[in-house]
Amino acid sequence: MTTPWVGAPFPVKEDVRLVAGRGRFTDDLGAPGMLHAAMLRSPHAHARLVSIDTRRAEALPGVAAVLVGADAARLSGPIRPLIPTTAAVPDYCLAVDRARYVGEPVAAVAAVDRATAEDALELIAVEYDPLPAVVDPHAAMQAGAPLLYPELGTNVVWHDTLTYGDVEGAMARAAGVLRERFAIQRYASTPLETFGVLATYDPGTDGYEFWTNDQRPGLTISILAASLRVPQARIRLHCPDIGGAFGNKRRPAYILVAALLSRKSGRPVKWIEDRVENLTALMHACNGVMDVELAYEADGTLLALHVRDVTDEGKNLLTPTQHNLIKLGNIANGYRIPAVRYEAWSVLTTKCPSGANRGIGKPFMCFAVERAMALLARRLELDPAELRLRNYVTASEMPYTTPPGAQYDSGDYPATLRRLLERFDYPGWRAEQARARREGRLLGIGIATSVEPAGTNLASYEIITGRRMVSGSAEAAMVRMEPDGHVRVAIGDPASGQSYETVIAQIVADELGLTPGDISVARGFDSAVSPWLYLSGNYSNKFSVTDVGAIVGAARLVADKLRRLAAHRLEIDAADLDLRDGAAVVRGAPDRRVAFTELARTAYADVLGLPPGETPGLEAHHAYQNPLAAPVDAQRRVRSQLVFSNAAHCCLVEVHPRTGGITLLKYVVVHDCGRELNPLIVEGMVHGSTVHGIGAALFEEFRYDEQGQLLTATLADYLKPTAADVPTIEAEALEHPSPFTALGAKGVGEGGAIPGPAAVANAVEDALAPFGATIRELPITPERVWEWMRGAHPHPGPLPQ
Amino acid sequence: MKAPAERLTIRLTVNGRPVQHEVVARRSLADFLREDLGLTGTHVGCEHGVCGACTVLVDGHTARSCLLFAVQLDGAAVITIEGLTPPEGLSPLQQAFCDAHAMQCGFCTPGMIATATELLADNPSPTEAQIREAIAGQLCMCTGYVNIVRAIQAASHGSSSA
Repeated sequence: MTTPWVGAPFPVKEDVRLVAGRGRFTDDLGAPGMLHAAMLRSPHAHARLVSIDTRRAEALPGVAAVLVGADAARLSGPIRPLIPTTAAVPDYCLAVDRARYVGEPVAAVAAVDRATAEDALELIAVEYDPLPAVVDPHAAMQAGAPLLYPELGTNVVWHDTLTYGDVEGAMARAAGVLRERFAIQRYASTPLETFGVLATYDPGTDGYEFWTNDQRPGLTISILAASLRVPQARIRLHCPDIGGAFGNKRRPAYILVAALLSRKSGRPVKWIEDRVENLTALMHACNGVMDVELAYEADGTLLALHVRDVTDEGKNLLTPTQHNLIKLGNIANGYRIPAVRYEAWSVLTTKCPSGANRGIGKPFMCFAVERAMALLARRLELDPAELRLRNYVTASEMPYTTPPGAQYDSGDYPATLRRLLERFDYPGWRAEQARARREGRLLGIGIATSVEPAGTNLASYEIITGRRMVSGSAEAAMVRMEPDGHVRVAIGDPASGQSYETVIAQIVADELGLTPGDISVARGFDSAVSPWLYLSGNYSNKFSVTDVGAIVGAARLVADKLRRLAAHRLEIDAADLDLRDGAAVVRGAPDRRVAFTELARTAYADVLGLPPGETPGLEAHHAYQNPLAAPVDAQRRVRSQLVFSNAAHCCLVEVHPRTGGITLLKYVVVHDCGRELNPLIVEGMVHGSTVHGIGAALFEEFRYDEQGQLLTATLADYLKPTAADVPTIEAEALEHPSPFTALGAKGVGEGGAIPGPAAVANAVEDALAPFGATIRELPITPERVWEWMRGAHPHPGPLPQ
Repeated sequence: MKAPAERLTIRLTVNGRPVQHEVVARRSLADFLREDLGLTGTHVGCEHGVCGACTVLVDGHTARSCLLFAVQLDGAAVITIEGLTPPEGLSPLQQAFCDAHAMQCGFCTPGMIATATELLADNPSPTEAQIREAIAGQLCMCTGYVNIVRAIQAASHGSSSA
């Protein structure tokens, strides 16, 4: 066999075009007669829309169409939620009679250029009747709180208590119970390219064509077709290059606005979100508050975990409860905790809709659990590494089912942490820390470890709805050897920086005995060409769990056919043929071979030369469902996610006593994502995701005032980590392949976004040990550090009883 | 004071070629490059001068093209990523970015290349700290900057591969 391409740090094909500015992003596209759209957005967090007068805007030269909520409700149906909570409330692409967050679109204009469209917005007169904002989720849960949807009678869209094992018994017999409260802020991964869409309505076919950087086209097409009241076959949706996504690039409402403007104007309409719109109104990770009770024996063995979790959804009707349920299975992180209770509230507030963001919910799980572990180690006077080593699920227990039903498939969590401690020189830095402290320097060392799930099993939402609508985790792929012997591949998952054109070429090259240079992987997605499913998309770390299975499956169908055609030609059994170096070769007789170009010529052109019963062509489709997905069981256990990587982070910080400033001096990651398909790509994701975690720990926060106004609506106020803020992330990989994925690979895209915030917080708290500070919330700003050094002990607000 | 919609004619060079174009006074340099000249390699990430994605070289120095009006560029020499890319193949700096996989989505990359070009012109052998300081005004949301720093180091004069 030829050298396997999978596992090699093959140079990234996409980089060659991207480094020259030759990517094609949504805003790079145009169409004849194209108009540009802009949206008018509510300046109030909560207001009744009394009247909208668009006459002056419509009269402005260059304006082609104006759309308001009443038009949207007439021309389109409500947006179908992914996760229908108890009561359905209609939600259209523009606010119809009420605005529920600052930045909610109330009108849209299409004009000859963006500047004219924005001029027109200033000519629209909206009369608002302001209503009380409800910004804090605890306030939103109280009786008498202002209601976003009075017809629901509450802002709580979901509340439940899920118990697995004997929590009361464990709490009663425990040597002690650690009780702590943690809060996480609103933040987002903020892809550098904002959301955008180019929509064209074709009255000739009553169909729509879209170019958009929406990262989940399968689901989006179904939502668009339902709202636009056309069959899905009359929606053609393309994804070009996507400039980062991280979960944020999803907003069917915006695509609908562009569609309706195109329908109204009869011309193509492009809408590109600006950065203020992006930060104000696209998507935030939920903020929330978590109460953690951790029961333990005297030696630190964990007995039970009780979590009470309040999640602030903002105005999220599309995917409420996502942040709650996706972490349910792994709420105990990598630890063997036999009894778990998870009590949760999913609450609407008058803030930006929440939604998927790198790690969804798991960063908060990890922050709370890993902070609790740090505090427990302190209480028991154990080294934090030692406490973890006493409680990990071990390699010999794999596959291990957690009490809420997740299955940890593979990995050696103690080995990951031990390797981290070696690589970091943990004992050496502990000694250096003690020396520095004597000199008055505040060095801190923080450890956090985490599981990293991949693949979403949507059946988990049956816990909420009581019925199964969507389930499982799947993807589709097409592999076609063209008549010239070159291979074309397409999948239903549009890359947003994951270098699919390279890694897929490596996978298919191995299956077909070719080189990655012989394989062209389609850029992006085209619903008329790419194979796809409702579940298709770039989300939930699912590439290794489903996409690889689809690609391998389709490639093997083509490989089998190549062998059959060659066997017929050579009059030999197909099982005696290997595919290598672009030919089918008889095993043990390398001179007896047929080149793929010859087989392709037969398959497409000389079809009378095909074996009896073979159809022409060398093209195969394969849809792959990961076998781990299963429905909710009678004990309400579910594999909400499917395959688990793990990582251990250790960082060294220095706190500057005079300013409260923090310098990250060293950051080491040891991770295990199973078989690395391309180590160059994997390492890049480890670096980037870790810096997302650092951003959440130290810088990033969507801060609202009491009136629901966003105070951090520019990148000058909402701070991202820069190259000068972060050290070189040192990354090292262990490889424990998953038995449950096609090539043994596991998720790596969310990576450091999960343990990063906890690792940094643990380090800063360790540095501040002389002051007795306890870190319960993020981000850790210099102001907060400065206050902690002066004895302040802030605490997140109370949880409901 | 010009009215926002007033049209003016500007003459400048873009990537070494003379350009004469009529623009409205309020058109940004970024929009002029992308929409009027079709040079879509310059990306717009924030339109308020923080993210650095739209960085180009103006008379040899980096500038945020979202913060400049095209009419301010009358008489200037503008270089975009299209001009920083040789007619065939890639520049040594671009090749170093590919070798180090110094990008993921690629949206920040053209601005990053412009900034690294200016850095290496001013300081052919920068230290890691100098590189990090130089690109601190360029946000990358994907890479955590590690491979970008490595790429610039590899392309610098002091590196063995340069």
